[in-house]
Amino acid sequence: MSMVFGSKISNLFEIGLPFLVAIFCVMLTMLPLGLSSGIIVSPAFALMAVFYWALYRPELMPPYAVFLVGLYYDLASAGPLGLWAFIYLVVYGIVLSQRLFFIGRAFFAIWIAFGMIALVAGLLAWAVSALYYGSVVSPLPAFGQALISFVLYPLFGRIFGSIQRRFLSQV
Amino acid sequence: MRERVGQVERITLPFRVFSHRLSLTLFIGLSVALLLLGRAEAYVFDEARTKVAEVTAPIMEILSTPLAIVREWVGDVRDYFNVYEENRRLKEENARLMAWKAAALRMEQTAARYEALLNVQLEPGIGYVTGRVIADSGGPFVNTYIVNAGREDGVAKGQAVVDTEGLIGRVIGTGDKASRVLLITDLNSRVPVLIEPSHYRAVMAGNNSANPRLLYVSDETEINSSEQVEIDPDQRVVTSGHGGMFPPGLPIGVVVRASDGEYRVQPYSDQGRVDFVRMLQYDFPRDIEPESDPDEAPEEASTENDASQVGLLTSPNAQSEE
Repeated sequence: MSMVFGSKISNLFEIGLPFLVAIFCVMLTMLPLGLSSGIIVSPAFALMAVFYWALYRPELMPPYAVFLVGLYYDLASAGPLGLWAFIYLVVYGIVLSQRLFFIGRAFFAIWIAFGMIALVAGLLAWAVSALYYGSVVSPLPAFGQALISFVLYPLFGRIFGSIQRRFLSQV
Repeated sequence: MRERVGQVERITLPFRVFSHRLSLTLFIGLSVALLLLGRAEAYVFDEARTKVAEVTAPIMEILSTPLAIVREWVGDVRDYFNVYEENRRLKEENARLMAWKAAALRMEQTAARYEALLNVQLEPGIGYVTGRVIADSGGPFVNTYIVNAGREDGVAKGQAVVDTEGLIGRVIGTGDKASRVLLITDLNSRVPVLIEPSHYRAVMAGNNSANPRLLYVSDETEINSSEQVEIDPDQRVVTSGHGGMFPPGLPIGVVVRASDGEYRVQPYSDQGRVDFVRMLQYDFPRDIEPESDPDEAPEEASTENDASQVGLLTSPNAQSEE
């Protein structure tokens, strides 16, 4: 009985951890680095988290968790509500559909895949923002964010990997 | 036991994949619906935004503290290496400012005498609340800050936010201990401005770049003039106080001309160096009697700017006298 109970607790923890990591990543993105306007903006850490968990442990990062992470970012940054929720879910869907192709590949392939995903996410963010505000803005900040996220992904991929190894049961 | 779990897995797996897909589609639909709803009725989520900012603020405050310390430390080290250069620059600046100070004192006395003669209603003094920027939006198309001062500290919606150089934005939401600032570079930002010394009116509109655009530039002295006016670059842009939001005369930046011929504003404030900001507690004079001329308040604002304009014009002379 107590074992079942214990496993339930650990299940809860497992379900919660990737979500909390992603929320923490949103907060990292919002750190005031003084990069909020210009071409280079803060790296999209939460995008890295959504990408990572969708690729390696999608069952621990269900769609509603992805939605909540995006919604939290939209509310906290006071942007268009639903923007990042939409983009993270689309990214999640793409990764999920290509998952079997990428699992077990060399890290380099996954890194390139993330770069492409970051680019897609940036373009989506640009297109949705342009529609939302009804004015065409420069897409450069989106590319800047995609680029800096791509550069930093190896570091964060490694951090997520060690979190996964240390705290989550292996499948 | 393990085997049974495996069997259950095998049976439920297709179903789980299906439900995963279903809920993915469902939530994508939901976020699109939210986008459409927010587009139509932007104010609906204001309350939720403020709540989330308030909950996030304490964590962001902790997370951003090491950043502030590092920034200070880097600043200290840089100061140490620049001490000689900086000292010389400050001495020069001090000499120049002394000349300005003499001119300002003279102007102040003259202005006080005129005000007494004309029985001008003096504007209330401007108090301020200082807060630290603990979060920015981090996204590519939104420019907002969260500041660690809120309603309890006297911050209210609509207050102008300045740093040491000039205007950076306005308060758009307040919680008890944190508030949100919309920067002048954000796509939603519109600020009525005056261009000095030519005294043109314009609306400064954020366009998500470092240099906001100047829209509806018009010559204030000519009523309903529709022709395009020419502005010399390097003129000062200040708040006009029109629309009853900001105190008049807050410095914003200088006029620059973009490569496409459009007028832009280069803000004085350095957005790469955000740290402490001030929220100005300014009560726009509203206690005018209903019978009186509704144009009175803007009129008052423009006289104030006339004064500062004269100050700008005379001060270089004062400098050459020294």
